[in-house]
Amino acid sequence: MGEQRPLIAGQEGNSPLSRGIIVIPAFEEAPRIGGVLRSIRASGQPEEILVIDDGSGDGTALVAGDAGARVISHPFNLGYGAALQTGYKYALRHGFEYVVQMDADGQHLAGEIPLLREPLLLGQADIVVGSRFIMVSGYEPGFARGLGRLLFHWLGRLAGIHITDPTSGFQALHRRAFELFCGDAFPVDFPDIDVLLLAHRRGLRLREVEVNMASSPRGSSLHSGIMPIYYVYKMMLSLWVSSIEERRAKDAGPDL
Amino acid sequence: MQAPIYDLERLREVLLAAPEAASTRAMAIVGSVAIFLVILVLVRHRKLREEYTPIWLVMAVGTVVISVWNDLLRAITRAIGAWTPSSTIFFMGELFLMTICLHYAVRLSSLGRQVKNLAQEVAMLREESGRHPRTPD
Repeated sequence: MGEQRPLIAGQEGNSPLSRGIIVIPAFEEAPRIGGVLRSIRASGQPEEILVIDDGSGDGTALVAGDAGARVISHPFNLGYGAALQTGYKYALRHGFEYVVQMDADGQHLAGEIPLLREPLLLGQADIVVGSRFIMVSGYEPGFARGLGRLLFHWLGRLAGIHITDPTSGFQALHRRAFELFCGDAFPVDFPDIDVLLLAHRRGLRLREVEVNMASSPRGSSLHSGIMPIYYVYKMMLSLWVSSIEERRAKDAGPDL
Repeated sequence: MQAPIYDLERLREVLLAAPEAASTRAMAIVGSVAIFLVILVLVRHRKLREEYTPIWLVMAVGTVVISVWNDLLRAITRAIGAWTPSSTIFFMGELFLMTICLHYAVRLSSLGRQVKNLAQEVAMLREESGRHPRTPD
């Protein structure tokens, strides 16, 4: 299976997935975004690169543009989830067939993009999540947050999802997935297992692959700002809402 | 027969039967009519969108009716088990404010969603029109 067959855009024509785009949401990342973009270029990925500047005031957009990326700038700060979604909408509108999303702070390694891309191109999954089973350096979620994670990991298992790192910003998505995420149900702050559940319920196939992650140079993940209790509350609420939506869909189903 | 020292039921009756001071009544009527007129003016000059007018008009009419027809207020007070007409007014006022707040919260949620979608659209259009500072072609 994992042989030397060329999987990627090199082969034109009958390859069903040939146009991909790397989506990088960035907020105040001017000091780091240049290095991230250069490392992607240097690792020779075939995808185009799109940076979503989420209303940064530090020239992130200029640095990214100078480094050769396409840049979309939000007129003001909308949130990490909204920036991702702008990337999805752009990809959908411009006919891209898959999206690879990664963070702008350098914690995801460009050399590992093929690990995420491969299951998509082989048609084995619609969403591939890069998980930090292995940490290059310590990642310490707080106690309550750790508890919350455990709880939702368990809920996810109940729902039939086996994803250990649902908040990972390092993912690859088939068009089927990012098209779904262009809807208003996609959270503007931090997509989490709620989004994966939504995809799972719509019949999309999820897959997790192991990746290495450098600890964020800022020393904290994007999510550390959310209070743990609010996090647990938000997850409970969105799981409940999505279960209602599912029930409605089921009820409506046979009548049609 | 010796009455109990505190006959709460009788005390309540006394409070409910207490006549309303003429000045209170005058103030209530003037105030509520003024609110009603202000709302009418706002609607007329389209400062208040039609969508918002029903709840405000109902509130204004209700206030006028209650300040004129005092027995109605007493009847409501009796029915909901309150002791004084003023508690009834505060209670209804609170209900009204909560309804309005909830309504605004719903509106704000949908406005937030619309603003997000618009901002995304603007950002994409700007990229497509090449008006972004130094976007490479």
